[in-house]
This record gives sequence, structure tokens and C-alpha cells, in this order.
Amino acid sequence: MLIALSTLGSCKKLIQIPANPPTQITRQQVFADSATAISAVAGVYSYTPSQNSQGIPYEDGNFTVTTSLSGHEVTYTAGYGDYAQFSSYTVTPINAEVSALWSTPYSAIYQVNDVLGGITNNSNLSASFVKQITGEMEVLRAFYYFNMVNLFGGVPLVTTTDYATNAQSPRASASAIYTQILTDLADAVKKLPATYPSSGHVRANLYTAVALQAKVHLYQGNWQAAYTEADSVIRLGGFNLEPNLNNVFLDGSAEAIWQVPIENTYGGSGDAQNFLPYSNNTTPNYVVTDSLVNQFEAGDLRMANWLGVNVVNGQNVYFPAKYKDQQPTSPATDYMMLRLAETYLVRAEAAAELNNLSVAVADINTIRARAGLAAVNPATQAAVLAAIVKERRTELFTEWGSRWFDLNRTINDTKYPSSGKATAVLSGYSATNGDKLYPVPQAQIQLNSHLIQNPGYH
Amino acid sequence: MFVQPPGRTLKKILLIMKLTPLLLIMAILQVSASTFAQKVTLSAKNAPLVDVFNQIRLQTGYDFAVTATTLREAKPVSIDVKNAELDDVLKKIFDEQPLDYFIENKSVVVLEKEPSFFDNLKDKTAKLLDLSSDITGRVIDSLGQPLIGASVSLKDTRYSVLTDTRGVFNFSSVPQGSYTLIVSYIGYARIEKNIQLEGRDLRIVLVAHTATSSLDQIQVIGYGTESKRFSVGSVSSVTADQIEKQPVTNPLLALEGQVPGLNVIAMNGVPGSTTLLQVRGQNGLATSENLNFKPYDQPYFIVDGVPFAPQNTNVSQLGNLALAQEYSGGLSQATGIGAFNDINPNDIESITILKDADATAIYGTKGANGVILITTKRGKPGKTTFELNINSQFNEVARPIQLLNTQQYLQIRREAFAQDGITPDNNPNDYSGGYAPDLTIYDQNKYTNWQKVIQGNNTNNTDVHATVSGGAANSTFIVSGGYTRSDYNYPGSFSDQRYTLHSALTSTSTDKKFSLTLVTDYAYDQNNSAGFGGSQDVTLPPNAPDEIDGNGNLIWNYKGVPVYDNFYATLRQPSNLQTFNFNSSLNLNYEIIKGLKIGASLGYSRNTGTEHSIDPLSSQDPSPYGNTISAAFGNTSAQDINIEPQINYNKAIGKGVLTALIGGTYEKNVTDSYQNEASGYSNDAFLNSIDGASTQEPYDLAGLTKYAAFFGRLKYIYDQKYILEFGGRRDGSSNFGPGRQFGTFGSVGAGWIFSEEKAFKGAFPFFSFGKLSGSYGTTGGDASEGYQYQALYSPYQYGNTTPFQGIKQNVPDNLYNPDFQWSTKKSINVAADLGFFNNRLLLNATYYRDREGNELVAYPLAAQAGFATVFENQGATVQNKGWEFTLTSTNIKSDNFRWTTSFNISFNRNKLLAFPNLAASSYAQQYVIGQPTSVVYGYRYKDVNPTTGEFEYYAANGTVTSNPNYGTAATGGDEVVIGNRETNYMGGFGNTFTYKRVSLYVFCQFSSSMQPNAISALYSDPPGGEYNLPTYVLGKFWTGPGDTHATLQRLASSYDSPYLNGAYDFSESTGAYSNDTYLRVKTASLSYALPDALLKKVNVTGASIFINAQNLFTITNYKFGDPEQPGTFTEFPLQRIIAFGLNLKF
Repeated sequence: MLIALSTLGSCKKLIQIPANPPTQITRQQVFADSATAISAVAGVYSYTPSQNSQGIPYEDGNFTVTTSLSGHEVTYTAGYGDYAQFSSYTVTPINAEVSALWSTPYSAIYQVNDVLGGITNNSNLSASFVKQITGEMEVLRAFYYFNMVNLFGGVPLVTTTDYATNAQSPRASASAIYTQILTDLADAVKKLPATYPSSGHVRANLYTAVALQAKVHLYQGNWQAAYTEADSVIRLGGFNLEPNLNNVFLDGSAEAIWQVPIENTYGGSGDAQNFLPYSNNTTPNYVVTDSLVNQFEAGDLRMANWLGVNVVNGQNVYFPAKYKDQQPTSPATDYMMLRLAETYLVRAEAAAELNNLSVAVADINTIRARAGLAAVNPATQAAVLAAIVKERRTELFTEWGSRWFDLNRTINDTKYPSSGKATAVLSGYSATNGDKLYPVPQAQIQLNSHLIQNPGYH
Repeated sequence: MFVQPPGRTLKKILLIMKLTPLLLIMAILQVSASTFAQKVTLSAKNAPLVDVFNQIRLQTGYDFAVTATTLREAKPVSIDVKNAELDDVLKKIFDEQPLDYFIENKSVVVLEKEPSFFDNLKDKTAKLLDLSSDITGRVIDSLGQPLIGASVSLKDTRYSVLTDTRGVFNFSSVPQGSYTLIVSYIGYARIEKNIQLEGRDLRIVLVAHTATSSLDQIQVIGYGTESKRFSVGSVSSVTADQIEKQPVTNPLLALEGQVPGLNVIAMNGVPGSTTLLQVRGQNGLATSENLNFKPYDQPYFIVDGVPFAPQNTNVSQLGNLALAQEYSGGLSQATGIGAFNDINPNDIESITILKDADATAIYGTKGANGVILITTKRGKPGKTTFELNINSQFNEVARPIQLLNTQQYLQIRREAFAQDGITPDNNPNDYSGGYAPDLTIYDQNKYTNWQKVIQGNNTNNTDVHATVSGGAANSTFIVSGGYTRSDYNYPGSFSDQRYTLHSALTSTSTDKKFSLTLVTDYAYDQNNSAGFGGSQDVTLPPNAPDEIDGNGNLIWNYKGVPVYDNFYATLRQPSNLQTFNFNSSLNLNYEIIKGLKIGASLGYSRNTGTEHSIDPLSSQDPSPYGNTISAAFGNTSAQDINIEPQINYNKAIGKGVLTALIGGTYEKNVTDSYQNEASGYSNDAFLNSIDGASTQEPYDLAGLTKYAAFFGRLKYIYDQKYILEFGGRRDGSSNFGPGRQFGTFGSVGAGWIFSEEKAFKGAFPFFSFGKLSGSYGTTGGDASEGYQYQALYSPYQYGNTTPFQGIKQNVPDNLYNPDFQWSTKKSINVAADLGFFNNRLLLNATYYRDREGNELVAYPLAAQAGFATVFENQGATVQNKGWEFTLTSTNIKSDNFRWTTSFNISFNRNKLLAFPNLAASSYAQQYVIGQPTSVVYGYRYKDVNPTTGEFEYYAANGTVTSNPNYGTAATGGDEVVIGNRETNYMGGFGNTFTYKRVSLYVFCQFSSSMQPNAISALYSDPPGGEYNLPTYVLGKFWTGPGDTHATLQRLASSYDSPYLNGAYDFSESTGAYSNDTYLRVKTASLSYALPDALLKKVNVTGASIFINAQNLFTITNYKFGDPEQPGTFTEFPLQRIIAFGLNLKF
């Protein structure tokens, strides 16, 4: 007892604990060598069912669901109000899905920024490793901000892990976000090699960066840049359209420019979990709208392969079925981030806008041919653009908000017929009411008074 | 309540009180044996005196208080009497002995014989010569055991000593005169005896009696005990009497309403679920605006000296009904199954709540939120007794809600569609909102009362507790075993079963110098629950199709409409939690020299849990894409080692007594958890084993915290009147980063027992005690977890994640802030204690003011920071101040009838005192300086617009709108401060009536605050949508233009209804909040002790039968649902429990 008392004299020693708990390591240890640093990189790339929203965001498929509802690609038949709001443009700032759409990318951006902070000026790591990883991280950051700026408009621009400053930073303008996206991609293009750093098309390479650049430029209306970049990916990237539509979303897809493994032991992708019904004779939770079903021409293989159908009370009810991995599949299903078919359509649209109609038509027909459809030959720019819209709808439906964003971005483009614009085709949609952008989550405004709500939400 | 007697009867009552054997002091000369009707038959020849005593004890039931030393003088006894009076027999025996005796309370106290006549003569001479004399005495208890360390003093003189290990004290050379001799010893009634010194040495024996007045009862405090009389801290105790009348399984639930300033929050009615406590209001800033109580504001819990249940978080890591959510979220949560479920309330002797700094500063960084000390039962000296307590309990929902029947429901649905101008159809592709299977596909005449199906069950619980205890003077023991089975009031066979084994051993060496106490508790609890809750399914449409067929097969499809989340499927995904609790403490003490004791408390506790939950194929909707059969396995352990060497010193100095304590603490707290998600089973039969799974995803998590501290306390009681106390702790915690680990906390307290002053003495005949006391001090709050000052990475913590291209992912766990440290609370406490009518009526009034600054919080951050929170100190200061009043009274006390009352009420006022730069913080829209931290922002509700049928609110500028803007005025919104959720007042009162063999105890608990009202819960879904509603809504919805009587806005057929936005706002408005005041008959207990004559025949010492009820009924204006669970009617409801039982003593 006396011994115990005397040892109390050195209290500091008594409360000494190891530097890190058994199941965790310190950040310093993570970036002490490339083997552990790459585990942090793996954490950034992970598309997992984890509940702490790290890794690639939207693993629960809520990005797909919300934007597909807003684009009236699907209708929601089950009773969850926060989803229903997306199709009726009554989204409230307290909508839980909006909150997730806003918050999860920032967890991912933090990881990216932390890896960049950890590898920059780090003498433990080789220069080539740092260069490679930096480029990859920049592509990811650009991808996240691209999604955010399309969902919300300008968002707070965070490129460090300094929480004290970041937590209260205001929204940057949409153009500042685009500048950051293009800066990141331009730097990534300088740093990344043309080959993939690991097996498959899972981590970003040069053409991932360029394909994303092309998409960004297209959304920005920088037709020439979009054309050039898409063209270089198609010609030099070494990608090919998968002849069999059922292989497009599988691991090793030849048209994947970037696909991530679905790291779920006993479930598949969020998209499959959401869209595939649990039985053959009940109404699915998400039903493909008649307007989308009607876009498919007779014989379109995409309808047969990428839509599922249930017969309910004698009626055909369709549901999206690009991802068939409600259970893990073999060969594995990967989640598609960017694919060549889209890049064809980017080149087609940029070409059409540049009035280079022959290239545009050729690209459309490349896509149609793979879908088992005969070639078309629209003659005017408006007709070509209309064909592109139709092809984008049938090719890229329920993928990364393609339809929703197309409607929003072309809303002021007079080259498109007004009958095909958001205001005309989406019942309840009002551009002036701010329906184009989702609201900033109220909880975020509560935590950061500098955030200004999007117009139309109150 | 105490009934103030009118003047005429006052005398009579005082007379009754005089008869009360509160204080009985006997000096040898004054022995006057009373007459007894007890007859004794004895025949002995040269028998040892002890044997004779034993004979008499067996015949009369009288105990003999006698010590070994006294008996050494005894001579053998020869006696032969038949049916003689006890008094005569004793006279006969003691005539021959050098011993004397007196009788008291069925005890015969044996003493050495008094001085002879010759001695008396000598004394007379001494008086004449005015010689001073010596006083020698012994203080013993009613069993003749010495009281060691009792304080003995002559009032208003410098004579003050402590008794030695034989209970002996000595004053030498005391001048002649009259004195008041005072003996005080905690747990015993104070002895005051007038003595006259006339030159002769006085030898005196004083018998101390266990205190009956709560003023003199022992209360446990930090590292010691004290009597309320000399306490200057704010300490409340709840004892076994109060606990055992309540048929609750969680001991914390037994505290509700019993203790002023203590808020008890039952999370829900699930057996075993966590119960949160809060002492004197919320000191910390919240982590989330929706969480009024966060686990980190929990008091520090100590069971038998061993820290227990850190932060009172859950011990279950997988999903269960107690969580009320589908995903478990793991450990460290305020919901789930709590550690206190492993403590049997029947094993608890007392629960002490330490509230102010005087009481808690000795706990340093862990004292800021109050300290709860749980002390388990010890054996008592005496013959070995066996006690058995059996009861059977019936549970039902305390406040069931009534929901619409099919006709009412369908009517509302049709009206909703009509008002929206939508025709219901059966087309799922209709995104205008017309799809309504309940109106177009389901059977229009079917009726299922889902509330009744899910919550309407009655359960039958069992509680058995058996105790064996006893011991001799130097050692006691107790062993008790308990079994408690609580069934879930829920379909399916779910239950919580607890097995406990409690034991305590005390031993003291013959010379009284060495003592040892060993307490050990084991508990094994098995909680079988559904993996997640379906309580919200009470709002399923009453004509919803059956979800299960007559053969028990699940139904997933009704005419093409899928059955989402089949309720019965959740019942087939059980979650089984087994917890094992081991709590043991060893206390050793040795008196090196008189008054100086060294000792140590050694504590070890280990709480482990094993969990298993399954998702069998039989619970799943057969999918064309295949199903995954999976199971989850979990293990947790929390281990605490606690070593606390202590030195105690007691010494009479001057006219007072000094007690000093110094000690040290070393504590190591280790937690481990392991979880394995196993999937890909080929068959449900394999689900109990990990081996059967084709894939496993384990993850583990470990935590470690070490504490080291010095603590001390110095208390001086001068002349039984003035009390001064200092306490403090130098505390170190490994939870803080380098340079931030150590802190010093201290308190000073003082008390003045003014009733001891001459001016008050006898001034008012009914006034018996008066004390003013106060304290000031600091304590700390270490609301943190281990290692948070480091930037940490770890592999994905939540399972079923496969590696990325063969690389196990590492992800950041937290934001890096190495600089946080404990928060500091400064407390002032002032109290007045008054006793009347010989302390039969005791009043306490306490004022306190706590200010917690340098607030340590998991500070919420906007998402863009990357993490939702960071451990950080905020310069904010939160103040809680208030009043607490307690009254205890023995109203009537006669031979046959006894009526006692207790009452307490407390008023806490919480306020954010200061927050530098609040506007630039994450709390800018949540807190207001000068307002409570539970301030609520919301809209000012106007009413239902008679023309549009929509709710209307006042905008910030005073105009009326149905679509107010989100946010506070600062962000352009219409939300203003509409109140706060502080408890305005709360308390409880209990009455015990005992008439002959019947005893009735009724305890009521009350509380008043502003809370979300029951109507607010309606607006989480659109009323009129495909959800059932409480019958309360009937006739309240707006029916059409010109309806000026509606209190609820127009119906909405679905989420697509155009009038919904304003309806959601309702739950954020003044309309959704109302005064939540209730009075609940918390406990009613009726017991009847069976007649002794009857019991003697069957060799039973005592037997009683009882009915105990918990949550019997509630008086409230709360509309529907339970006022203790405000703002929801779909959570697992609180239960009404009625227990029928039997208590037997052998």
C-alpha cells in the first residue's frame, strides 16, 4: 500500500498509455510509408455499405434515386415521404436525403484532402508515388464537386482539413467550384499516366481525368474543349463498348473509364437494392415512368437488358435493372462512375453544338448499333440534338442524374425545342421557383450561418 | 403532509412523543427495572453465566448485551425457579455476581457492579473538598458492542475525545459542576445526558441506539460516511425501503421523483433499456439540437466503491427493440440495453446522490454532473435469517392510445383525396399521388387493431429473491440470489431474464484494529429481443392485409401490393444479448495508532456481453435474385481496476473533533468490443455458429483510459455546533493530451447548528434542530473518450466491407484537436435544515448555483468540416440554479397506527450565461445568451385558416403565412424563440400508513415542462395519408371553406399533396408544444404481515403478502400517449406493472 502511495508521486507515469489504441493507428503512422498510405487511398476509393459515409459517397444509391425521381425516370410507390418530395418538387430543406446528398461528399472530400495533406512534402514517400496519388485524389475531388455543383449550385469550397476555418466557410460561387474542378483535373492530367495504377479500371488514370474534363466542359457549354477531350479518350483511351449490354456494369467492363468495386459482403450495389423488386408479382418500389418506357424503340436491347418487368394484375410494370446485384454477383458487379458510351454522347453533343453533324450522327449510331437499333440520319442541328437527347435518355437512364442534369443544363439552350425542356416535361417543375437546384439542408445552415439558401426554398 | 395540531391536542401529541424511545440513556445507578410479565423457568447448578443467559434468551426473547471481559468476572450460577418473573430471576442471578444489569428494549445490558457504600462516603468527602474528578465511560450499542471513534464531549467545555477500540473514553480532572455529556456517532441517535460532578470519579456506560430520525442516520458520501446532522454538502439518499416497494427491474427507475434535483429519464418501456439520470439540470452544451440529454452529461456512477457504467451508455452493440432504430450504431449510445440492468434493486441498501461541490469535489474531473453512489446490502449481526421474496407481475401499456377503426380511417382517407382533388386509383405509375392501395385494392371491411396486436399484450413477470444473512459481532455475512424475468409487452416470446448473486463479508479483528469488507456481485442477464422495432407499425392502415397466415407463414404480397417490412418478419430476426457482470470490492483498514487508520479500497469490475442476432431465410421475402442468410455475433467487455489507498485520521482537538482523509486513486478502464457479421449460410439451422457462414466480416474496437489522483478531506466539528470542511482532488486523466492531463479541484464548506446556541435552546418548545450550511467549490467534467486528442485512423469499423483490391481500407476517425481539456464547474450551495417536534418533522431548503465554463463538448460542425463533431472546449458558461425543498414527517405514531410523509420539490433554472462569439459558432442558431440551453426556436402558430384550411403562422415581421421561412430571423427565417424544454418543477411525495399489520405506501411523482405535444407527432407523416391516426383527431380537421372550428389543417392524401409544406412546419411551431404537466401515481404498495401466532406453528419468523404497483395511473392534460415520452406515440411505451408477492423470513 505504501508502495502504491509512493508511486502516486509520479502520477504522470501512472496515466501513461500507448501512443495509439490497439485497433487504431495515428495519422502519422498512416503516412509513414507507402504501404500504409495506400491503405488510406483504398479508404478513399471504397464504395462500401459502411454507415459512416466515408469512401465514395452515395453507396446507398440515394443519388440515383433522388435524381431519377426528379428527372421523372421513375415513380415512387412506397411510403417514404422524403423520396416522394423529389418527384413533386416539394423538397424541403429538412429532407433527410438532401441532407445526405450534401454531407456524404464532404466526408469523402475530407479524406481526399487528408491524403493530399499527408503525402505532400512527405520525405517518407517516393516522388512518383506522391505524383500518382496526387493526380488520383484530384480526379476524385473534381468528381465530388461536379456532382455537388449540379445538385446544389455553388457549395463551400474546401481543399484542406482545417476544420476551424472550413466549418464556417460560406458557399463559393458555382463558377468558383467549376474553376476548382478544372484546376484539379488539369493538374491530374499532368500527373497521371495513361495506364491504370492497379488492375482493372478502378483507380483513376489520365483518361479518367480527361473524360471527366470532357463531361465538365460539356455541362459548361465549352463545346470545343469537350469535343477535343472526348475525342482523345475515344481515340487514345483504349476503351471499347461492351458488345453485350449485360457486361457493361460488370467488373472488367471494356467501356468502363472508371468503375469501383462494390465492397459489400452480403449485398450488392445500392441501385440494385433499391430498384430490384423482391418478387416477380408485386409492384416494385420504383416504377419506370411511361414517358421513359415510351422512349425505347422496338427492338432496343437496352429495354430487354436494362429494364426489368413484373406483371402485376395483368399489367407490365418496369423497373431499372442495369445493376442486377441485389446479391453479390459472379463475375462481380462494379459501380460505374464514367463510361465510354457517355463519352461518345459527349463528343456527339459537342460536335452537334459545333455544327459538326456528321461526327455527331456517327457517334449516335455507334451507340444505337450496340443497342441493336438501326442507324438514323437526322439532317438538322435541332434534329441531331433531339436524337442525342433521346439516346442519352435510353442509354444513361438512372445513371448519375444524367437526365435530371440534362434537363436543367439545357433549359436556356435555344437550340433545343422548348417542348423537350424541363418546364414542359416535368409536371410541377418551375425553374423560376428554384426547382433546378436542391435546397441547402436546414441543419447545415443552422450549423453554419454563412450558408445562404437556394432561391425558392424557405 | 404533517398535520399541524390544534392547541388543545398539542399536549397530547407531545406526550406521545415523550414516550417515543428515541434517546434512552442509562447510567448504572439509575437502573430501575420495570416489571415484566415474562415468565422464566430455570434450573442450573454451577452453570456458566453465559449458559443461563442463553436459557433466558430462548424463553423470553430477551438479548443479553455483555462483553467477554465483563464475563471474566462472572461466577457460576446455581438457580432453580419455576414460572418466575424475569425481573425476579435476574435479581436473583445478579445478587451473586460482581455485575449489575439494566433492561432496555428487550435487551439485558450487563455491566460491572457499582462502587460500594464505602466508595460513596469517599465521594462525599471529595465533594466537600471541591476536588475535580475523572469521568470514564464506555459507549456501546444495544448489543453491547463498543462504538469505536464515537465523539464524546462535555458541552461548552474544551473536553472532547473519541472513544478507543473498546468504546472507552476518559476525561481527567474535570471540575465540579453540571455538564451536558454529548455522544455522537454516525448512524446512531445523538446522546445528550446531564451529569453532575461532585468530586467523585464517575464511571458511566452509555448505550447508543440506531438512529430513527433521518437526521442521525448514516449516509454514504465520497470515500466515507457521515450523518446528516453534521453534513454541509448536498447529499440525498434513497434507501432499500423505498426501492423494494417498486416493482422495477432497473434500480435507476426507482429514483424517479424520490430525490430533489434528480431527473430520471426512462428511454422507453423495453425491459433492460437504458435509463438516464441528470443531476440539477443540463450542464453541458448539446452535441445535437435534437438530443436534449446526451450520455456525456451523465453523473459518475460508483457501485460499492467501484466505478460502474461509464457515461451510462448501452452495453448492447447489435440492434434490439430498446434501440428503437433499425441500425444499432454500436456502443457508446444513450439507448439500447443499459448496464444497470445487471444490478438487482433488491440487493441495494442505499443509493446516494451527491449534488454540490462539497460532496463531489473529491471526485475531481468526474464530479461535475453529480455522483451516484450505490451501496449494496451487508449482513447484520444476529442470528442467521433466511428471507424469501417472491412476486409475480402483470404488465401492460401505461397509457395506451386509441386509433381509428377501418370505417373512420377510410372516411378520413376519402376526405383527404377529395380535398386534394385527386381520385384514388390502383395505378402505381401515377406520380400525381393517386395511387392508394388501401382504398382501391385492400379489403374495405377488414379491421385489425394494430395497436392491440403490437402493444396490447399483457405479460406476466416473475421476481424471486432469497437472502441468507447473519453473523457474530466481529463478522457478518450476507448471500442473496435473485431471479427476475420480465417479458416484453410485444408479440413473440421476448424476455429479459436476470440472475444475480450478491454476497458481502465483513470481519473485524478482536482488538478492533483491523477490519475487512469484501463485497461481490455476479449477474447474468439474458435479453431476447426482436432485432429491431416495429412499434411504429401501430399506425398501419386498419384494413391493411394480413401479414401472416393461419399457418404462421409470412405474407409478402397482397394482390400485387408488396408488404413492406413485414412486422412478423422482425419477430423472426431475434437478437439475443447475454451480459455477465462481476463487481467486487475489497476494503481493508488497520488502525496503526489511536485515531490513525490506513487502508485501501481495491475494486474490480468486469461487464461483458455476448450477442447474437440472426436474419434467417424464414424471415425474408423470397427474392428472385436470391436471399442472404446472415447472422451477427458480438462480444463486449468493459473492465475497471480501481486502487485507492487511504489514510483516515480522527482526533478530538479542543472542543471539537477533526477528521482527515487523504488518499490516492489509480484507475484503469479497458473496453473491448468485437463484432462479426457472418453471411452466406446455406441453411437457417447453421445460424447459431460462425462456422456455417461462407463470409465473415469482423471488426474490433478497444479503448483505454487511466486516471491517477490524490484526494483529501478535512472536517472539523467544533462543539457540536460549527462545522468546517475542505475537500479536493488533484486529478489526472489519460483522455487529455500532453500538458492538459492534470487539474486541481477543491471545495470549502461550513455549517452552523444554531439550535445548539443558548439563544435558541428551549426558546420554542417545538423547535428541535436548526442548521445553516453552505459550500463553494469546483469540479470538472471530462466528457471525453480515450485517445481523442490524437488524429486517428482505423480500418472500417462497421462490417460487411470487403477490402479494396485486396487492400484493407484505413479511414480517418476523428478531427485532430490535441488541446481540449475538462470543463470546470463552480458551485455554490446554501442550505437550511430545520427539525421540529423532536425532529419528527424535518425540513430542508437548499439553494444552489452551478456555473459550468470552458465547456467540453463534441462540438457540432457543418458537414464541410469532414466530421460532424470535434472534441473542443467552448468559452461558454452554462448556469443552473435553483431551489430544492424536502420534508419528512412522522405525522402520527401510535401503537397501532403510524403515518409518515415525505415530500420533495425542486425548481431548476438553466441559462446560457455567456458565450463569446456565439454568432460565429455552430450554435448560433441554437442557443441564445440569457436563455436556457433547451431553448426552442420555432414558428408562432396562429390557427387554421378557415378559407384555405392550412395552418397559419406569424412570420418574423408579424404578417400571417402558411409557408413560413425556415431558420431564425438572423438567417432570414421566421423562427423565433418559442420557449424552452426545461423542467419548471418536479418532485414527488409519498405517504406510508401502517395500521397494525397492514401497510400502505403511495408515492406520486410529478413534473412540469414545455414539451412537444401529442399532436406534433401526427405531422411526421401527412395526416390523411396511408397511416392510421389516433381517434383524438376525429372532428378536428378542417372540412371545407368557412370551417372556423378546425384545430387541425386540411387533410393531405399523400406526400404529393400540395398543402403539406405548411403542415410539416406545424411540428416546429408553438402549436406543437404545450405544457406537459403530470402527476403520476408512481408506486402504490399494500402489504399485510401475517399474524405471528399463525407463523409460529409453521416455524416462520415473519411473513407478509403484498401488492406493489408501478405507474398505476396518471393525471395529466396530455392528449394521447405518455407525458413521460412526449412527442411520440409510436415508441415502445412505458409500462404499468402490478406485482403480487409474498415475503417470508425464517
